[in-house]
Formats: sequence, C-alpha cells, structure tokens
Amino acid sequence: MLKYLIWPIAAVALIALPHGLSFSQQEILVFLTINILVVSSYRLLTLTGEWSLAHVVIMGVGAYASAMMTKNLGIYVPISMLLGGITAALIAVILSFPLFRMKGFYFLIGSFAAGEIIRLLWKHFRDPFGGAKGIKGIDPMPDFSIGIYNFDFFEPVSYFYFAGFIVIICLWILWRIERSPVGLTFHAVHWQDKLAEASGVNLRAYRTLAFAIASGFAGIGGALLAHYIGTINPGSFDLDYMVFVLTWAIVGGTGTFYGPILGCVVLTILNEVVLREMGFEQLRPLIYGAILIASILFLPNGLESIVQKFTKRRAKP
Amino acid sequence: MTQFLKVEDLTMRFGGLVAVDALNFSVDHGTIHGLIGPNGAGKTTTFNMISGFYKPTSGKVLLHEEDISGLKMHEVARRGVVRTFQHSTLFAELTVMENVLIGTHMPFRPNIFAAIIGWDREDREGAEGRAREALKFFGLSELARERAGDLSHGHQRALGMAIVFASHPDLMLLDEPFTGMNPEETRQMMDLMRRLREAGTTILLVEHDMQAIMGLCDKITCMSFGKFLAEGNPKEIRNHPAVIEAYLGGARHVA
Amino acid sequence: MLDLLAQTGLNAVYAASYISLVAVGLVLIFGVMGVINFAHGELFMAGAYVVVAVYADMHMPFFLAVVVGLLFVGCLGLLMERALFRPLRDNPLGGLVASIGFLMILQALASMGFGVRMEFIPPVTQHVVWFTDTISIPLARVYVIVAAVLLLSTLWYFLKRTRFGWALRASAQDPQAAELQGISIAQTAKIAMFIGAGLAGIAGTLTAPLVSVNPHMGHSVIVTAFIVIIVGGVGSLEGAIIASVVYAFVHTFVTTFYGGVIADITGLSLMLLVLIVKPTGLFGSADRA
Repeated sequence: MLKYLIWPIAAVALIALPHGLSFSQQEILVFLTINILVVSSYRLLTLTGEWSLAHVVIMGVGAYASAMMTKNLGIYVPISMLLGGITAALIAVILSFPLFRMKGFYFLIGSFAAGEIIRLLWKHFRDPFGGAKGIKGIDPMPDFSIGIYNFDFFEPVSYFYFAGFIVIICLWILWRIERSPVGLTFHAVHWQDKLAEASGVNLRAYRTLAFAIASGFAGIGGALLAHYIGTINPGSFDLDYMVFVLTWAIVGGTGTFYGPILGCVVLTILNEVVLREMGFEQLRPLIYGAILIASILFLPNGLESIVQKFTKRRAKP
Repeated sequence: MTQFLKVEDLTMRFGGLVAVDALNFSVDHGTIHGLIGPNGAGKTTTFNMISGFYKPTSGKVLLHEEDISGLKMHEVARRGVVRTFQHSTLFAELTVMENVLIGTHMPFRPNIFAAIIGWDREDREGAEGRAREALKFFGLSELARERAGDLSHGHQRALGMAIVFASHPDLMLLDEPFTGMNPEETRQMMDLMRRLREAGTTILLVEHDMQAIMGLCDKITCMSFGKFLAEGNPKEIRNHPAVIEAYLGGARHVA
Repeated sequence: MLDLLAQTGLNAVYAASYISLVAVGLVLIFGVMGVINFAHGELFMAGAYVVVAVYADMHMPFFLAVVVGLLFVGCLGLLMERALFRPLRDNPLGGLVASIGFLMILQALASMGFGVRMEFIPPVTQHVVWFTDTISIPLARVYVIVAAVLLLSTLWYFLKRTRFGWALRASAQDPQAAELQGISIAQTAKIAMFIGAGLAGIAGTLTAPLVSVNPHMGHSVIVTAFIVIIVGGVGSLEGAIIASVVYAFVHTFVTTFYGGVIADITGLSLMLLVLIVKPTGLFGSADRA
C-alpha cells in the first residue's frame, strides 16, 4: 500500500516545496534541480569507470548551443534545449575519438585539455560565442498556462516546476538505462574490460555510448541553466564548477543511483542554508575543499554507504 | 570439408624475443584439442593471438578459411571464438546471474532505445533463459544471487566457463582451466568439458595438468620454445621421444 | 624582424626556465608517489604570496623572501604528503582528487588573507640587460633563468650522484624492489615532496614581481605544467625539461605573432596530439597510472 502512495506523496511534496521558501531559496532550488541532472548524468559516465574533467564544459556546450539556436534561429525554447542536449552528445562523440584512445589518468588529463580547448574557443571567437563576455539576453522560456496554473518563467517557482518536470523525465530515462542490459554492460566494461570484450562487447562503442548519453543529459542541464539565468560565459563552466560536480559525486558516492543526488542535495543545503545564513559564504571553496578531502579519506564510499548501513541493519532484525 | 580452425605460420615477436615461431596446426570441429608444452613454450601467446588479444607479427589464423588474425577480441568473439582467462577473471562485483547475462551479450544484443521504452522484454527473457540454462549446465543455479567474488575457487572457474557457454560459441578457448583445482574439482571439470563436446562445442585448451589433458583430449599439439614439436592423440604424445625430451629438459611434468 | 625573433627567443628562454622548475617538481612527485598533484599550480601561487607578505608588505630583502618561500612551500608539500598522499597510497585517483581539494583550500586561504585582487609588488630591480640596441632582458628575468639552471643542475647532480638520489630513482622505478633494498619509501616520498613543492615555490617567488599575483594564478600554471609533463612523458625528468623548452618557445612565439588565446589552444592541442599518438609521452616509458 505504502509503495503506491509514496510517489504521489513525493510529487505533492515537491510541488509544495517552493512555497515554503524565500525567493532566494527558490532560486537555489532551481539550481539544485539542474545540478541533480548534471551530477546524475556524470554518474552514468563513471559506470564505465572513466572520470572526466570535461563534463561541465560539455554541459556548457548544451547551454551555448541552445542559447544560440534561440537567439540566431528563433527556435522555440524547449525544442532548442533538446537540440542543445543533442549537440552536446554529438560533440562528445567527436571528442571520444581522441579521448578514448586513453584510459584512466590519461583520459582524465585528456578530457581536461579538451574541455579547456572548448572554453578557449568560446573565449577567442567573439562571433558567434561572444568572447569572454559570453552570450547575454538569452531568451527565457516563453510563458504558458495549463488549466488553472499560469507559468511565468521569471518566477523561480514556475521555472522550478518546469525544470523539475524535465529533470524527472531525464532521471527516469537514466534509471531505465542503468537497469537495462545496456547498463549491465557498462558495469561489465568497468570491472573487467578484457572479459567483457571476450564476451563480444565492443568496448569502444560502449564507452562512447556512455560518454554521449552522459554528455547529452549534461547538455540539457546546461540549456536549462542558460534559459533561466539569461547569460552565460566561458567562466560559467570553469574548473571550479567541475570540482563541485566531482565533490557531489564523491561525497555522495557513485555506487548507487541516488548517491550523487544525495551528495548534491546535502552539500547544497549545507552550502546555501548553513554557510550563507551564517555569513560564511566566502569560505565556500575552503569548506568544499575540506569536505572533498575528508570524504576521500574517511568516507571512500560516500554518504550512500551510511544509508546502506542503515537500511541493511533495519532489514536484518 | 573446409578446415574449422587453422593456424598458419603464426609468429609473434616481442622486441628481439621470438615467442612463437612460424607455428602451424589445425583444430577439427567437435573435438577437444590440447595445446601443451614446457613453461615458456609460447602456448599462452598462441592462445592470445587466436583470441585477438595480441596481433600476430606475421602469419594467419583461419576460421572457416577466413583470416581472423589481428581482429579485435570482440570481433573474434562475434565469429564464435570465445575465450576464458587464466586465474579467476570474473566480474567480481556483480552477481553470478549478472555475470552470465553479460555472456549473453552476443545472441541478445542490448538495444538502448528499446530498453528505455520497455520493448525489449522478449530479449531480456530470452537472455535470462539462456543464462539460467548456462548456470544449470555448470551446476551454479543455487548460487545465482551470490556475488561472484565470494564464490569458491572451483565455482569461480565454472562461472568463467558458464559466461563463455552462455554465448553458445563454436569454439571455446580455455586458458589453463584446471590450475589450482583439487582432484575432485578437476574430475568434475573434465566431465563438463566432455558434455560440452557432446553438445557440439569445439574446445581448445592450454594446460599444465598432464593427467587431465591425457584423459580428455582427442588430439594434442605440443610446442617447445615457440616452435611446433609434435602432434597426435594422447598415447602418441605420451610416447613421443621429442616430447619426453622437451619435458625432461624443462619441467618434470610428464607423468 | 631578426631582432623580434631574437627578442622573442629570449623571452621564451625565461618562460622555459620557470615552467621547467614547476614541471620537474610535478614529475618528481609523480615518479615517487604515483600521484598527479593537481595543487601544484597553487604551490606556485603560495610561493608568490610569500613574496607579497615578506617582501612587499614586511619590506624584507627579496632574497630572504625567496628562501622563506622555498622552505614554506616545501613544508606545504610535506603536509600534503603526510595528510593526503600517504593515507591514499593505493588510490592514485583518490590522491588526485584530494589534491584538488587542497587546491581549493589554498586558493580560499589566499583570497581570505590577501583579497582576490591583483597584488602590487615593487620591482626588485629596474636593471635591464641590453644585448644590442633592440634586444634586451630585464635583470629580474635573468635571475629566474640563472636560478632554474642552478637548481636543476643541482637536482641533476643530487639524483645521479648521491645515495639519496639513487634511492629516489629506485623507488620511482619499482617501489617494492626499492623497499627490499632497504630504501625507506616514506623517507624518499618526503624528500621528493619537499623538493617538488619547493621547486614550485621558488618558481613562484622568483616570478612574483614579474607576473600578476592573484589567488587564481595557479590555474594557467598547472595547465602549462600538465601539457609539459604529458608531452615530455609523465615519468621523465629529462623529458619534462626538454618539453618545457619546446613548449615555451612554441607558446611565446605564437603569443607574439597570433595572440595569447591561440597560443593556449596550440599548446593544449599539442598535448592532445601527443596523448593520441603516444600516450606515454615523447620521452617517457614509465607507466604507473
């Protein structure tokens, strides 16, 4: 019985959630929603065992693509977001040719270099990328209404509903992929690539597939961000942001689907609610750095390992 | 009739070292074929070249007269030649069932779009059926939900073969399947291999355990220092002067 | 035109000097610990801030600031070894991620202590060495070049001729075998970390009066160092030095003729190209990653 009620209750809670918050907290909620998509898509890549430092830049590819398509071609915003995601996935496929000749550490550094090159290209070409100042005045999501509710996308609450809807669909797709034979193959590629290959798995194709899917959803995340804040520049997708994503994933743990989401939510609450309210905003990088180190040292399997311990103990009386 | 698997002038050099030197032999369909030789004879290197793990320096590996040398391992696998690895190479973090499901990758190729929408139910059921069949064949049904890394050594070996079996290969390449097994486990494994042969699978194995190989193989190829030494049935090999010489000069393996 | 080429070449020699100091330290740490220190650029930055504190704010002599910088950053290296890399010995990715965390802490401390804006450092010397009427180099840059040559040749001697150096090289090649030979891995790790960090620190102190000192200055330094060590081969000190020179010349010339951003893109593309063609680098065979 509880099983069937849990989803409607969660839905109602999510709908009600922004109404109990201040305006700035509502804005943070929108960013949190987008970041959940970014970190969850990052996890899909880590399933194959590769850690990229280009994920946030590829998210930026989606943001730039979507912003430019609406601005220059007048494409309807939700469609441009989807196209932004597809662009990010295509760029990932192109990048995979050089990058997947490397593994592990070399892949990490290679992805970092590839990301920096993309950022420098944005910076260098004022036309069409706007140079260091980036793109300003990005079209917002056009208003519309469903029945009784009027979506006014300058209101964070409306955008939260919109982004939340998109993100939930994306998470559902990511979840379906992970639970499918494709997801199992990703795991296989991670744990024993040689045995997987001997079983007929085309390693390169599956690594590329995971990279492209992860990048596509990151691109949608970037597009969601771009049309909300209205301005993006190469600095919006820098290494600091990448470190945040990395921190969320590592603090939460990448062993489960909910791990990175948990890390993202907990750290965002810690950051915004605790640090900002207490006036420690300046300490943010310091605290993130310390948390990153502490979790690597003392909680190598992330917050999810605490949850697992708790649920397992309850399961075994 | 075309030759099932034929190795022609297969050569592998590592730097200045010639690990395998112009090796020739062929494997008949439906047999268990042993590849033996003292340590460092180049057996495993040969094996790795057939399975696509190494690209030979020169020479050919002909499968039904198609040259498969230099293909990637998954391309070789898709032509029906599937290998196991030395030691217990498994997906240790996954369950036994999941391990075998990965073995069904080739007959039931996953499709990502069907998987998202849920249109791949038939394939998933087919793959699970195939996986259960493989587990049953190797006596692992009871352990389907265990973590592969937690299994006993013998079970891990069996699981390694079950993964291969699940893909229904024409030719199974077994790399030292008896290493580290007690006599009882060895006997069971030999039984399993005979049943595989009856099911129509050809087996090529590299092995140190002479007792097992003599009792099991239809035909044996012996190598020494990267070169072909002798070939024949177990009895011929046992009494072959060159083989005895090679083994007495090298290790003390011949019983 | 010839003058411009000569002048650019001179600038490239200066760039090669401080880049090789940073890159050699990074390679040394990687060789012995098997970890890529992402915070290496911030160690460079820390060296620069020592100059801000000791020389610019406290008005002490510049060369005292350099010595303090070397010792201070070397000790930061020891701290990293003890707190991060030793507990994460078997986890190279963990060590890398932890060093990213350390990077953020150092950046935050710098901006809290000194503010995020660029620091003004009074010039150490106004002297300029003139080679011809048009070709010249500021004396402060000559200091950097001289220091790099001296330090790197000392390090060379230390590594090739002393027992410490032998132990260091042995544990870089094969830690287990080195341990069997009676070499203390913990000891060599400390030495490598102190030297590696100290080199980055001294590069930071010497270049501080010549560049814009700010909490984020480490970023371009680490990007450069990565390019250099990848091109040179991740385990190879000689490779790192040669690659530093190559990179410095390419980057300086492209900057002079086509602009800085194109130069950065060229450098990164060079590195990607090397990674694609020969991931172990042009001079390296060491593969511990």
